[in-house]
Amino acid sequence: MLAYVLRKLAYGGLTVLGVLLLIFVIFFAMARPDDVARRALGEKAQGAQIEKWKAKHGYDKPLWPTLAKPGGSLLQAHYVSLLSFEFGNSDLNDSPIGTTIRDGMGASLALTIPMFLSGLVLGLVLALFVAFFRETYIDTMGVFLCVLGMSVSILIYIIGSQFVFAKMLRWFPISGFDTDVIADGNWNLLLRFLALPVTVGVLSSFGGDTRFYRTVFVEEVNRDYVRTARAKGAGEMRVMLRHVLRNAMIPILTRVVVAIPFLFTGSLLLEAFFGIPGLGSITVDAIAGNDFSVLRVMVYIFALLFILAQIATDISYTLVDPRVRLE
Amino acid sequence: MARLAESLTTGSGSGSDLSRRCQAMAWRSLLGLVAFACFGCSNSPYPEEDSDTKILYRSFEEAPKNLDPAYAYTTSATAILGRVYDTLLEYHYLKRPYQLIGGIAKEVPTAEVLDDGTIRYGFELRGEMLYQDDPCFAAYGGGATRQVLAGDLVFAFQRLADPLVNSPVFQSFANLKGFAEFAKALAERRKRDPAFRKLPPREQYRAVGGISGVVSEGPHHFELVLARPYPQILEWLAMHFSAPVPWEAVQHYDGKEGRDHFKDHPVGSGPYYLSEYAKESRYVLEKNLNWYGVKHPEWKAAGAVYPTSGAPGDEAHGLLPAEYVGKPLPFIERIVTVRDKESIPAFGKFLQGYYDSSGIVKESFDQLVRGDALSEEMSARGMKLEKSAKSDIFYLGFNMDDPVVGSAKGARSRALRQAMSLMVDVLEYTRVFTNGRGIPAQSPLPPGIFGYDAEYKNPFRTVDLKRAQALMVEAGYPGGIDPKTNKPLRLSFDTSDTSPDGGARFKFFVKAWRQLGISVEVSATDYNRFQKKMREGAFQIFQWGWVADYPDPENFMFLLWSKMSRKKSGGPNTANFSNAKYDELFLKMATRENDDRRMEIMKEMRTLLEHERPWIELYHRESYVLRHGWLKNVKAPGLSLPVSKYWDLDAAERGRRRTEWNRPIYWPAFLLLFMGLAIIAPGIRTFYQERQ
Repeated sequence: MLAYVLRKLAYGGLTVLGVLLLIFVIFFAMARPDDVARRALGEKAQGAQIEKWKAKHGYDKPLWPTLAKPGGSLLQAHYVSLLSFEFGNSDLNDSPIGTTIRDGMGASLALTIPMFLSGLVLGLVLALFVAFFRETYIDTMGVFLCVLGMSVSILIYIIGSQFVFAKMLRWFPISGFDTDVIADGNWNLLLRFLALPVTVGVLSSFGGDTRFYRTVFVEEVNRDYVRTARAKGAGEMRVMLRHVLRNAMIPILTRVVVAIPFLFTGSLLLEAFFGIPGLGSITVDAIAGNDFSVLRVMVYIFALLFILAQIATDISYTLVDPRVRLE
Repeated sequence: MARLAESLTTGSGSGSDLSRRCQAMAWRSLLGLVAFACFGCSNSPYPEEDSDTKILYRSFEEAPKNLDPAYAYTTSATAILGRVYDTLLEYHYLKRPYQLIGGIAKEVPTAEVLDDGTIRYGFELRGEMLYQDDPCFAAYGGGATRQVLAGDLVFAFQRLADPLVNSPVFQSFANLKGFAEFAKALAERRKRDPAFRKLPPREQYRAVGGISGVVSEGPHHFELVLARPYPQILEWLAMHFSAPVPWEAVQHYDGKEGRDHFKDHPVGSGPYYLSEYAKESRYVLEKNLNWYGVKHPEWKAAGAVYPTSGAPGDEAHGLLPAEYVGKPLPFIERIVTVRDKESIPAFGKFLQGYYDSSGIVKESFDQLVRGDALSEEMSARGMKLEKSAKSDIFYLGFNMDDPVVGSAKGARSRALRQAMSLMVDVLEYTRVFTNGRGIPAQSPLPPGIFGYDAEYKNPFRTVDLKRAQALMVEAGYPGGIDPKTNKPLRLSFDTSDTSPDGGARFKFFVKAWRQLGISVEVSATDYNRFQKKMREGAFQIFQWGWVADYPDPENFMFLLWSKMSRKKSGGPNTANFSNAKYDELFLKMATRENDDRRMEIMKEMRTLLEHERPWIELYHRESYVLRHGWLKNVKAPGLSLPVSKYWDLDAAERGRRRTEWNRPIYWPAFLLLFMGLAIIAPGIRTFYQERQ
């Protein structure tokens, strides 16, 4: 297994290097260092100020290595800073990127972990429920609701829920988040802030998840070992929870573990609309503000997490299914 | 359901335990949710204990980038810095045109021409002014705070010149005697002397001898000497750039050993101090009990008491109420500003009473504003509408270096520009695209700025198809036909707005010019490509806007000064307009005080622009700000000036209204639950009956 993991890590490393090159090429195909400086300094910045800013932030170097100066390019600095995890400061507001990410990750996780866990539990329970009542109108209605849920854009969920639950029914705040409520122990306020975005996040994904899990469960339900279990007198609920659920773990794990990196990177739309200062929101700001320094770090972190999640998924197969061997 | 529970309990003993545990957990969760629904459900985004405090709640969209007063140049940063830092001068809250009054300086100084031709401004500072309490003072052997000294102003000006600070307003202070020389000496010394580079900034500044035109004499006398006339310097002194800065703060907040950076930790002497700063999400300003207005209300300083007089009409608008006139400021204890990136949620929170004031989102404008006033529904909720003209200009520009629309063809291209100007109906444009918010612009100058003439009508800014068609003939394009190609004249319109809304707006202009037979193609690219085109002069027509830094006509007229050409110097003259007569008049106007002669010069410039048409002036934005009735003394400033120290609010009234407007409605939850059970239960029953 070690050899397998090392091989995967090596492939992953190469993928990350490629991703870093790609983000560099795409970004500088769209923007010049002057544009980055102008966005940071504002529309009224003059030439001399822009030059000073570029020198301070290292954008006065040539983009690509040259024969005369092979080691002094922006591309080289880009790789060195990311691979050494020296993220530096934001182009837009000069804040240390490491600190920004640490702070933003807390807010993102406060949203995404409850969303992920409740979405997972709800998806599995609903899928088990409809699979249990398969081929009845409950199953048909469940599938219909899932397809309906999948067909609606998350923006509609967000705006609609803000209108219905926050404006009309007045159950939750329309938007807002305060990082201090955790430190202050004001859990009621934190719960109030997160209730609506978590609900929206779960609602927007439950259709797809439930459909997927239901398909897996229904497939398992028709297998021989299930018939054997029933023949031995196991109750239907015991069959579902003890046998079907356990044997459906591989496809479930694939879907679940791959989703883990997204927990750290936050949710772009939910964070923007609910005023949550997480990494999704920071990424949106970086895109809008030509903040290459933050954008590349976000892409880098996401690429690393994604590769690690892929490896973790493979390893988790061996844990849930003893027949699987990683070679 | 009983059957379902029964089936859960079938099987082994451990399965039964599991089932019981599951049931207990489910009941506990259900009870928890019911408790939250009954007692915790509320749409208030604030802690209950704050409801009776005089807290002003506001929202912001864009996070402040930098809070160093010498560097920050954004509206979001000004909203903080303008409250935290006191300035030498400030603007009268109510009077229009804008009028400077004393701030830290007791009075607005007059220019004194010295024997060597330089100009001196002397400032007497108020004594016994203190900075906010801050640990930086104790770190250098002081107490919790210390006095504001003239030397702090000298330090602030030296920072403006410091190349490492890289202040965006360096050029605006370059008329100070010795300013550029100081910057150069500092840079050179740093380059050649590594030991010097390691010294704290204050010692470096001292070592190179300071700025000869920035002088402190004693703790409370301060002088500025200008090498050449630049009366606008006084306007700059009403902004945070030159506010006094304690050297201890700059030295202490270096980002090391867990300390903040100075750019994130302002230390000032203003009416508020920054008590909480989560850059991306929220910041809180608290009343500064060290502020001279709080410590010394007996001084009755101009910027520390509510004004006793205002502009015509202010009294009728309730802006000079007896209970506030002459009373010491500030009235509000705390300002909480929360980030809402999207305007719709922010506006929703305003309607619920959780923000005290708000702009109006386009989608809700017709519902809220009827004609020129608030709708009955909103008025009944006690809301007020504040309208004010912003100090800005939005315009369409021609690239004057372009061979077709530019100045190369002389009278012919001028006639073309005049004809195109005659076709843009700005009243219709604002009606369709800005809900009628916008004052049609006749010249670059907006209302509230010296030189603005409400009676003036630009002869090329009234729609006149016949005259425009005649001008097209003069331009050599009769019926819009280019004689070279025998086809309609083709022009391009460059923009960085790729949104559908932007597309509709540009089509408005295209359609107007099509009536002259001109075919204009809109070229919408991303921001960076658009900027590149502007820098390189590779465009014909564009739309642009300018927001004033300070309320002086020079800040608008310089947008067409040839020295500011975007193509040649990267300046804000994006039309690349170059006219010797205009330049001459501009230089005369720029250095004069507001007098009759200045007004005459500006009229000459206006006539020249009217004829040359490098721009088609569109409109000056009108700000429509909604506020709740409990927020008092609000007059929109038009400029980016933080004026909340003059505001007051009735927290009890706000609390009452919030409760009234935000009572949760629970019955739909029970209805939904009941409906769900009603739909599912028969299915479950049938399923088990069939199985039995």
